[in-house]
Amino acid sequence: MKRYKLNGFHLLLVAALATMGCTKLKENEQNKLVIGNGGSANAGTQLIAAYNDLNTVMHGQDEIFSLQENTTDECLVPTRAGDWDDNGVWRVLHAHAWDATHGQVQQVFSNLGILESDATTVLALNPTAEQAAEATFLRSLAQYYFVNLFGQVPYRTIPNYNTINASPVMTPAEAIDTLVTNLTAIIPQLNQTLNYYVTANAARFLLMKVLLNKQAFLNPTKPAAQVAADMQQVYTLGQAITGYTLTTNYFDNFGPNNGGFGAPGTGGQSTENIFVYGNNGTATNPNGTGNGAIDDRWMMALHYNSYDQGGNYGSAGWNGFSTIADVYTAFDPTDTRKGNRPYPSANVHGVSPISGLNVGLDSGAQMNEAGVQEMDRRGNLLSFQGVVANTETDLHTLEGAGIRGIKYYPDYANYTGHASNQLAIFRYADVLLMMAEADLSGASGGAGDALSIVNGLHTTRGAAALSAISLVNTANLYDPTTMLEERQKELWWESWRREDMIRMGVFLSAWNLKTADVGTTYILFPIPVAQLVANPNLKQNPGY
Amino acid sequence: MTIQRLLAHAATTLLLCVLFTQTSFAQTKTITGKVTDDKGIPITGATVVAKGSKSGTSTGTDGSFHITVSTSATTLVVSSIGYGSQEIDISSSTEVAVHLTSSSANLNEVVVIGYGTARRADITGAVSSVKAKDFNAGATTPEQLMTGKVTGVQVAENSGAPGTAINVKIRGNNSISSTSNPLYVVDGVPLDATYPVAPDKLGVVGTVAPANGLLFLDPANIANITILKDASASAIYGARGENGVILIETNKGPGKTQIDAGFKLTTGAGLIKANDLMNASEYRKAIAQYSITTDSGASVDPFKAIQQNKLTGVYTVAINGGGENGRYRAVFSATDQNGYILKSGLERYNASFSADHSFLDKRLKIAFNLALANYRLQTAPTSAEAGSNGNMISMALQWNPTLNLYSPNGTFNQTNPSGQGNPLAMSSYYDSYAYVTQLFGNTSISAKITKNLSYTFLYGVNYAQSTLDEQTVGLLQAVGSNSNLGLAEVGTANLMSQTLTHTLTWDQNVNENFKLNVLAGYEYYSSTGLQDNESWGYGFTYNVLGGPQYNIPYYKAMQTMKQSNLSTNTDAPATSELQSYFGRVRVTAMDKYTLTAVVRDDGSNKLGANNKYGIFPSFGLGWDILKEDFMSRQNLFTYLSLRVGYGQTGGTDAIPYPGFQSSLVNLTGYGTVGVGPATATQNYGNPGLKWETLTSTDGGIDFGLLNNRLTGEIDVYSKSTTNPLFPGTLPVPSSGATVWQNLPGHIDNKGFEIGLTGMIVQNKDWHWSLQALVSYNKNKYIAPALGASPLFLTGQISGNGVSATYAEAIANNQPIDAFYLRTWTGYDQNGISTVKSQGSSYVGDPNPHYIVGVNTEVGYKKFTLAVNSHGAFGFDIYNNTLLTVTNLQELNNGKNAAKTVVGTGESMADPVSASTRYLEKGNFMKLGNMTLSYNLGSFATYVKGARVFVSANNLFEITKYHGFDAEVNTYASNGGSVPSLNVDYIGYPTFRTVTFGLTFSLN
Repeated sequence: MKRYKLNGFHLLLVAALATMGCTKLKENEQNKLVIGNGGSANAGTQLIAAYNDLNTVMHGQDEIFSLQENTTDECLVPTRAGDWDDNGVWRVLHAHAWDATHGQVQQVFSNLGILESDATTVLALNPTAEQAAEATFLRSLAQYYFVNLFGQVPYRTIPNYNTINASPVMTPAEAIDTLVTNLTAIIPQLNQTLNYYVTANAARFLLMKVLLNKQAFLNPTKPAAQVAADMQQVYTLGQAITGYTLTTNYFDNFGPNNGGFGAPGTGGQSTENIFVYGNNGTATNPNGTGNGAIDDRWMMALHYNSYDQGGNYGSAGWNGFSTIADVYTAFDPTDTRKGNRPYPSANVHGVSPISGLNVGLDSGAQMNEAGVQEMDRRGNLLSFQGVVANTETDLHTLEGAGIRGIKYYPDYANYTGHASNQLAIFRYADVLLMMAEADLSGASGGAGDALSIVNGLHTTRGAAALSAISLVNTANLYDPTTMLEERQKELWWESWRREDMIRMGVFLSAWNLKTADVGTTYILFPIPVAQLVANPNLKQNPGY
Repeated sequence: MTIQRLLAHAATTLLLCVLFTQTSFAQTKTITGKVTDDKGIPITGATVVAKGSKSGTSTGTDGSFHITVSTSATTLVVSSIGYGSQEIDISSSTEVAVHLTSSSANLNEVVVIGYGTARRADITGAVSSVKAKDFNAGATTPEQLMTGKVTGVQVAENSGAPGTAINVKIRGNNSISSTSNPLYVVDGVPLDATYPVAPDKLGVVGTVAPANGLLFLDPANIANITILKDASASAIYGARGENGVILIETNKGPGKTQIDAGFKLTTGAGLIKANDLMNASEYRKAIAQYSITTDSGASVDPFKAIQQNKLTGVYTVAINGGGENGRYRAVFSATDQNGYILKSGLERYNASFSADHSFLDKRLKIAFNLALANYRLQTAPTSAEAGSNGNMISMALQWNPTLNLYSPNGTFNQTNPSGQGNPLAMSSYYDSYAYVTQLFGNTSISAKITKNLSYTFLYGVNYAQSTLDEQTVGLLQAVGSNSNLGLAEVGTANLMSQTLTHTLTWDQNVNENFKLNVLAGYEYYSSTGLQDNESWGYGFTYNVLGGPQYNIPYYKAMQTMKQSNLSTNTDAPATSELQSYFGRVRVTAMDKYTLTAVVRDDGSNKLGANNKYGIFPSFGLGWDILKEDFMSRQNLFTYLSLRVGYGQTGGTDAIPYPGFQSSLVNLTGYGTVGVGPATATQNYGNPGLKWETLTSTDGGIDFGLLNNRLTGEIDVYSKSTTNPLFPGTLPVPSSGATVWQNLPGHIDNKGFEIGLTGMIVQNKDWHWSLQALVSYNKNKYIAPALGASPLFLTGQISGNGVSATYAEAIANNQPIDAFYLRTWTGYDQNGISTVKSQGSSYVGDPNPHYIVGVNTEVGYKKFTLAVNSHGAFGFDIYNNTLLTVTNLQELNNGKNAAKTVVGTGESMADPVSASTRYLEKGNFMKLGNMTLSYNLGSFATYVKGARVFVSANNLFEITKYHGFDAEVNTYASNGGSVPSLNVDYIGYPTFRTVTFGLTFSLN
């Protein structure tokens, strides 16, 4: 039997084994992002990324649009048997009963953060003065919606644009100061002329919105009286926005040919779109951004059989978004903004001859291109009715209840590809209305100038002239002699209604299918819980 | 791992070999014999060694052995994993019969414990093992071998489709972001159990549920499965031990010349539980009741039309050989497995080769294990993510039973008035094949350096390469966008991981009262993750309506696609690495008291720069009570021992790639501006990221009573996971990238387990044994910092009208994935559902509180009947199928509906809304397998151990749940990277199979 013996060689071996088993754990350089250092990212591409961020948050029927419209009298999404329950998200918006788990609130918070972050990143990548100004505008737009919807503005300083630490948070007062300072500074630096880029006029427009909503942002439940100097500045900014005229045919502002990709008035049918998302009928737009889902804006409202032209255009309506009858009936019968009529056949994109579809607030019998009334899926004649409920319960009317808004109408020329309707984010008509409101709130023009502006608008829109105008009638939200109602008629479904109602002090009132709020919780949206955990600088808004 | 590094390791090992040059000469004699268990059934693979010598052999399938020993040898030691060892006197005979005791908790049983083995008596952690003879018959995957056989272990199939991934949970849900699957270690090599196939990109039929990562292992070639359940046992695997460890040992052969062969034939025999749809006449009555006029005149059974039933087979042949110094085994098997649904199935070929040989007077042993597999998985369009019109099960459920599936001219009827697609057309015009070739191999070199010191080097590799071919033929109408234009995808993927381990073991019986076993080791593991690339698109000129017809699948003619519609994608995640140092000390004093202490130091590049290394310790104490003097007078207990353990383990499985900052480079669409690709940060490194750490405490009693007629084990445990990992939201504003972060709070699992095995009858002709296992677990996430609102919603609800709807939540003081829903209170006078309030509340728990296994075996002479059943109790399932596929509103839309929704007072205008109405109790008991076998024994000179059997799988299920199967875990997620639990959406039904089989050996 051999005896085991531990000799020096064994020991050496053991020592060798002990030392060879060491390796430094790798961090693969190939996967590291190198920024601003000759790497693949630069201010130009990053700016395109920031522009692209507008796509989701501005187009989506469940993004800013939903939070600004479905929480008001202007819009609701009735649950219709198998459709549009979606865990009650739409119903709770219209009824003011949402909570911190609301998915749309969470996604808007996150998407605004993406826009703000990407814009801030541009500023960190040695941009040109022009690029910096455009990025500052996009960052300001995100901050505007943060203070507007959430009353708190998380932000990052430029040197800290890419950290994972808790971000600092601005109060409304700090946010307003920052927005005013930044927007004022960039106006002279912006030289772009095409409206799918940021122009000086877009910056002026946003600054007008900031100043007009300043008191509402500072105290949303009970805004203090407007400061005359602010209102004068709103008016002055409005006067500086030149080169636009009101579009003769109101719905040309939203049609498939509303852009034309030139400066205002150089090809597109709209002469009043100041800032748009540049959908152009192809996958990629000239400024490098991807095509946007503008078709959401008609699909969300139209019935499954609304515009399919005997099946040629598919069954693409979602039969959802509606307005209440009060909004519809408040219109002067001759007011072209109400719509509900055929779109001119002379237009190359004329919609009515192709499918029988009307544009505008669409009420009543739905006809096809041959003049035969459409059916709903159960075989009932399809007719959009003003009587509507948050939850539809009658089998015979559930698909037809609710007047629909078809402001953007289908682009049949690009039906199977990418629609070419540009999304109108800022419009000149709003500039005029803001100036009129400033007049009524302390600007030097006063009520007389306000009335003249509004009546000028009425002339173009085919509505009867008013003899007087005031800000708001809290007893009647649809009083035709008020700015609140005038703004609704001009800007319905353009994502402004909630902030208008807050500014005018009526957001917590009762309206059709909603009782007056108990308490003031719903004046602001809740901060998502995951964000509260991630960022101790955020505080949950009262009531949530 | 570089080749250089491997060579450096191998060179050192070769040096070891030259140390030993001693040979020995001695006179010999040959002993023959047979080893059987206490029922007389032969034990295969038992080790037979002459005492004092290292020469040994193993028994064949008939239990027989022959061994050549020195003439001076007087005693043989016979042992086998799972049995006690026994010493046999051979001083006066050359032929012996050996009976090994097969008690499951025999204290001399040798158990694999990770980087070594231990006697059952010396184990201080919660360790269970299942031997080949106790495996579930009829298992088609390794996991199913142990279903219902081990306390605290829940084995749940994702679906009834062949080859689908199986979720195994040991003692509950430890983690928020991972599925809590255990670490698998096959023949000593830890696995990354990833299904190595490129993802589907067509989008028409949704993402296919992940298939099983263990398909390369032939379940019939597995010898033993050991489960390390608590942290005191699994801490030796440190950072990967959080969810427990499953050690799989493959069959290494008997060590003598022998052929093993077998075949099985299987046929389907219907569903374990029928669906509750209306047939044509019930449908006619129902639509009359609701004044709907959708009677199309025919009577069809669409659900029957989508089934297939073919006779399938498994054929296995193995050759074995060996002698005193070595053994080898080569196995080949061919398996054909059919799914219940048309065009779904698994065809696979498994070859494995294992060999070991001892050299240099048994001081050096070299071993190889190689498993090579090729399989073809055919998948039917049955994804839960397809939406209702891209899933043929859903299409069959909804198909109007009065509407013909075929047109009069024999083509598929694709003009359903409801606009819904035809399930048979869907099946016929859709093809998906995944072809996988996988190599899993390891080699080990063990050297006995001194009497007490031994060294082992192990190198393991897991390599897989695959192709995915998928198409939707353009003749398909009314299903998804672009499907009528023809879609196809070709994808490839590969996966490579390597493990390199060095261990040194010091094993010494210092004296009668003091035994010492010390292990020190180093391990390095690297994995490339799944590297894949895909090409896909739409727009073909042939096999579309009005186009020419060719018998060429699109995926074989990608160049005929409209090339501007072609997209490509490549994913190449970074290599993840794990480097570990570990040690274990086991001290046994006076044969009564055992102390085990383990420590493992793991370093992972998934963790933050500040916390790359984590230290995971454990301690265990064992006490053999029966050896105490005060127990010496009792004769009730055969054995009685107590153990307590404490330990910590880590988890990083949820993190898919190393945790440093990475970017996504988008190369498309920026031509006009001409400024090159855009980049965005996809994943942020979090330098402060900490290990998710599980701390567990376990106490257990093992006992045998009445001469081991009754044996059992009782365990109590408490576990807590701290620093739960979460793919978190960055503080806004951020680029939208995720960052892995640690959540506040901890996830607690507390429970107990009772396992009892009784030998009720045991006599010459009859035996009857009964095993009953009950495990209780309670799961809760405690994080007061979150407040009352859920942190995160999970359990996404699928279907029409329920966008962005979730059924579950991660919230403070609730179980993981607690059901979070509005409470349904009935219907109002209009037949519209009413709820208690518009807000959701916590209303149920998808985590079973009790899991149960009941197994019994009755034997009479050469007949044996084994019955295995298992169940789970105290949990809920969300019936998403009833909510959005077979609801009453679908009847209104011209589709079929479940019988249960008709005539309930519900209006057809009732919103399809997620609420507790569709939350059902999941309690079930399932008869998983019943096998009757007849032991033909040995005959005709060469035939040994022949056995014929008839086996039935999934015989029936007792449950009140209305879906296809209450044992459900459809692939529902939150749409992100956090898994969810028990949301049943058009799952692939579980079906019954009957198998006839024959196995025998020749030698």
